[in-house]
Amino acid sequence: MKTNFLFPYKLKMLSGILFSISFILLALLYSVSEYSDFEIKAKVFAILGDTGLLGDNESFFWLETSVTDELLMLFVIPFGIIFAFSKEKHEDEMVAAMRLNSLAWATIINYVIILLGYLFVYGIVFLNVLMVAMISQLLIFIVLFRYRIYRFYKTAAHEE
Amino acid sequence: MKNNIKVQRAIYNLTQQELAEKTGVSRQTINALEAGKYVPSTVLALKLSKLFEKPVNEIFELEKED
Repeated sequence: MKTNFLFPYKLKMLSGILFSISFILLALLYSVSEYSDFEIKAKVFAILGDTGLLGDNESFFWLETSVTDELLMLFVIPFGIIFAFSKEKHEDEMVAAMRLNSLAWATIINYVIILLGYLFVYGIVFLNVLMVAMISQLLIFIVLFRYRIYRFYKTAAHEE
Repeated sequence: MKNNIKVQRAIYNLTQQELAEKTGVSRQTINALEAGKYVPSTVLALKLSKLFEKPVNEIFELEKED
């Protein structure tokens, strides 16, 4: 039976490794206080931005900034998506059903977290909530789906 | 929904693995089907029906809550 589009299984291992490494590096980058030690300065094009915290918004201009986090995001999101939505080794309709179920739960859990963050986090620290929200759904989905697949293969390990 | 896949499989003397290969699903899926934890798609139900040479109604049966 034809299933929905998914990335090939052979990309799973590589994308999983690259996603894990880049995600850990990104988490470390955001948690260290000596952020400036890891700066990679580059001239970037901005569709929208400002020239400082109190500066006016500008559009379509060039600015120089650190691109360390941008570079890491270029790994985290694409490889996260490929890892999350590549075929399983034994892809079949039950795996597809578990994928859909995990995706639904990940969306619900993610929005509960975002709502709680929105209601109970105020000030500049709220930026952290927005940062987490960028990849939390993908991350929660990956954890839920991997756990379900793990249990699926474990509970049915022995034939009756 | 109830099913008697396990009985049908015994009639044809197939292991879960062999049935899985013949229907193009994983052995774990056959296991979940037999345990009543998973309701198959129409395609898989028809494949099983064809393989066991029995109408779908004789393999699957609705329960009260369905």
